Order: sequence, then C-alpha cells, then structure tokens
Amino acid sequence: MAKDIRDNICDENLFSSVFSKHSKNLHDFLYYKFGEDLNPKDKVQEAFIKLWENCGKVTPSKAKSYLFTVANNLMLNEAAHKKVVLKYQKLKPKTHTNETPEFILEGNEYMDKLQKAISNLSEAQRTAFLLNRIEGKKHKEIAELLDISTKAVEKRIYGALKKLREDIKEI
Amino acid sequence: MEREELIKKWLDNELNSHELEAFKKLEDYDDLIKLSNSLMQFKAPEYDSTQELHDVWHAIKSSKSTVSKKTHWMRPFMRIAAVLALALSVYYYTTTLDTSINTLAAQKTSIELPDASQVSLNAASSITFNKHDWKKERNVTLNGEAFFKVAKGSTFNVTTSTGTVTVLGTEFNVKQRDNYFEVTCYEGSVKVTHNSNIVILKPGHSFLNIDGKLIATEKETSINPSWINNESYFKSMPFAYVIREFERQYNVTITPHNINLNELFTGSFSHNNKELAIKTITLPLNIEYSFKDSTTIELSRD
Repeated sequence: MAKDIRDNICDENLFSSVFSKHSKNLHDFLYYKFGEDLNPKDKVQEAFIKLWENCGKVTPSKAKSYLFTVANNLMLNEAAHKKVVLKYQKLKPKTHTNETPEFILEGNEYMDKLQKAISNLSEAQRTAFLLNRIEGKKHKEIAELLDISTKAVEKRIYGALKKLREDIKEI
Repeated sequence: MEREELIKKWLDNELNSHELEAFKKLEDYDDLIKLSNSLMQFKAPEYDSTQELHDVWHAIKSSKSTVSKKTHWMRPFMRIAAVLALALSVYYYTTTLDTSINTLAAQKTSIELPDASQVSLNAASSITFNKHDWKKERNVTLNGEAFFKVAKGSTFNVTTSTGTVTVLGTEFNVKQRDNYFEVTCYEGSVKVTHNSNIVILKPGHSFLNIDGKLIATEKETSINPSWINNESYFKSMPFAYVIREFERQYNVTITPHNINLNELFTGSFSHNNKELAIKTITLPLNIEYSFKDSTTIELSRD
C-alpha cells in the first residue's frame, strides 16, 4: 500500500485518521452482527485503545483487519451466542392520521415479523445484508470490510433476502 | 433467472434505467420495496466518530495514568532488587577477582597464601592467585622468580609462561625470566611440565632451561635459594643472565661494551652493597666498570 511510509501508527494524527476512517464501519459491523446488548460502541473504543497500546506492532495497512479481529474477539468473549434481536425504531404515531387503525396495526405486525426474520438469519448473512440495505454499502465495500470476495458477499446478501421473504410469508 | 439477476443488481444499486423498468415490472416489486423501506427502521444508532475519537483519546490518556499507578507498588521492590543485584555483583566481582602481588626492581616481598603456604617474591616479579577458588584448586601464576614453601594439601600448581610446576607439599624455587626457566627443589618432590617434557625433581635437583635448551645442573646443597639470603648465586651461567639479575636487584641499567655475554660466570653477588657487588661480578672476568650516574653502569674490557 502506498500509505505505508511508516511501519507503525504511534503518531497521534495518523491514529486519529485511522479512527475516523474505520470507527463507524467497525461500529456498524458489530451492531448488525451482535446487536445492541453487548455495547458495540464500547467495543469499538476498546479495540482502538488496544490498537494504540500495540501501535508499534501494527502497520497502517494492517490496522483495519487488526481492529476488526480485536473487536470481534471482544464480542465473542462476551456473547454466549445468544440470539441477536435488533430493535427497530417505532414510528411515532402521528397526532392526526387518516390511516385506519387496521393499517397501523398491520404495519406493526409486519415489523414484528421482519424483526423475527432478521434474528433468524445467520450472523454472516445478517451483517452483509444490513450493511448493504441500511448503510447503503456496495458489495465491493462490504467485501473489503469483511475480507471476503464480492461473490461471497453477493451470495450472502441474496441468500439473506430470500430467507427473509420466505420467513415473513410463513410467520 | 433474469429475475434473480435483476434483484441482485438492485441489491448492489447497479440497475440501469432500462433494467430498472424491468425490475419495476416484477410481480414482487412492491414487496421488495416495502421490505427495503421497513429495513431502514433497523438502522444502527447514530455513531458520532468525532465524539467517539475524543472519548478514545480521553480513555487512553486516563488509562496511562492508571497503568503507572498499577506499576506503582512494584517500584520499591524494583529498587530493592536493583540494590541487591548491584551488591551481589560487586561481592561476586571482588571475591572472584584475582589477587595480584608485584615487586619492582630492587624489591623483595613475602606473601602468605590462603592456606599458610609461604611465597617469597624476588625483585621485578609478579604473582597472581585467586583467594575465592583457593579451596578448590591451588593455582598460582608466576612471572619472575619466587621461592615457595607449600603447605601439605591438594595439588599446588605454579603456572608460568614457559612451564608448569606441580607439587603436593614442598619447598621449591621457580625462576622464569625471558627465555630462562629454572625450578629447584629443596624439599619433597616437584613435577615440572615444560612443553611436553615432564620431570620429577627430588630435593637438591634443578630443572634449568635456557633458550629452549635443557642444561644439566649440579646438586644443590643449600636449604634455601641464595636470593632468600640477599645473595645471587650463579654456577656456569652466561654472563648476560648475571647482568640482568644485577639490574633487577639494584634497579640499574648496565650497558656492556666489547664483552662476550656468553662467557660463563660462577660466583655470587650480594644484594646489599652495590659497589661491592659490581666488583664481585666484574673482577673475576677482568672487566672495567664505571658509574655514569646513579642508575647507569658501563662495562668495558680493554
């Protein structure tokens, strides 16, 4: 990588730029993979602190995979592989609405189904799918983030979509 | 198949306008859009990376101070350990350090070794031994001339640059000067190793090697080497060695002119009277001497 003029990231400015480049992606990745219960924000922070403590051993090009591995391990240490249920923001009921109560009820039902279906996805499917759908990431970006091929990303995302739709119909 | 392709492209936001039209005509288009829109409600909470970075720096800086606090209790121990290590190494260094005793020209000294063995050191000589290892092995390194009275015990070694003398308990004299190596046994028995030669000396016998040549010597009758009694005694000795011994005993420089230094000399000189001593070595060989100054003597023959 052209960026590797230095062989470590002990420089505060460099560290900060690494942070702004990767922290959000790392956070989103952790959130979609493990859910909210395990405090993805804290894990991101811990991972970056670990990176700073070991800054002499990590080259800038290795920083991303180092962070993702560390954060993932931090999560796995705590997660006893319980089922991840992502929360959805309840739409604020409008004070005046011309929608029928049935319609609103139906909408809530749909969301509950969707929530269940999402938690039935595998970790790999859910992470790739939600990064794509919610964060709007291209397949290629996700592939880089997860260190897998674009083909694999495509497979995961499409697989997730298929499974979601089947589940929703069934429930 | 085409449907799957379209959905995949839609997922990657890669549909062109033509394909988009086709996609919209799919029967499950509404379903997909509904799903897609609903999914947005599962969005991860906002992540403010500027604020988070600030927090990380704060955590790193405060953890630094806790880290130093953590090591705090170790510090006094570290100090004690450092002092101990230092004291131990000084102790070890001093005890394993060799003891060395030197004499200058015109100087003699007597040393008692750790086991009460006696060593008399002649002028311009040095002896080195190790007090710490003494119980394990009695080793002495000699450079010059010394008379040993060795107490009974384990093997006693005298190492010189030209040969090694090994004894059990005895009295003997070792003289090692330049190309000169002489061992005389006065009591007990002495084993001399010189190059690959091993010679065992009985009382009164000597081992003499000059310039690598073994020289036969007569039996010694005195009980001490002559220099112990402040006299140097020579028997059929090349004159050069006599001069060198004289220089050592009186701390002078002798410059010979027209003199055959290989001429053999038999006799002795005293260590107490320079004037008398120079006479005793020059007169028998018919040599003139003159004092240039207090430390230089010139010898010449008419």
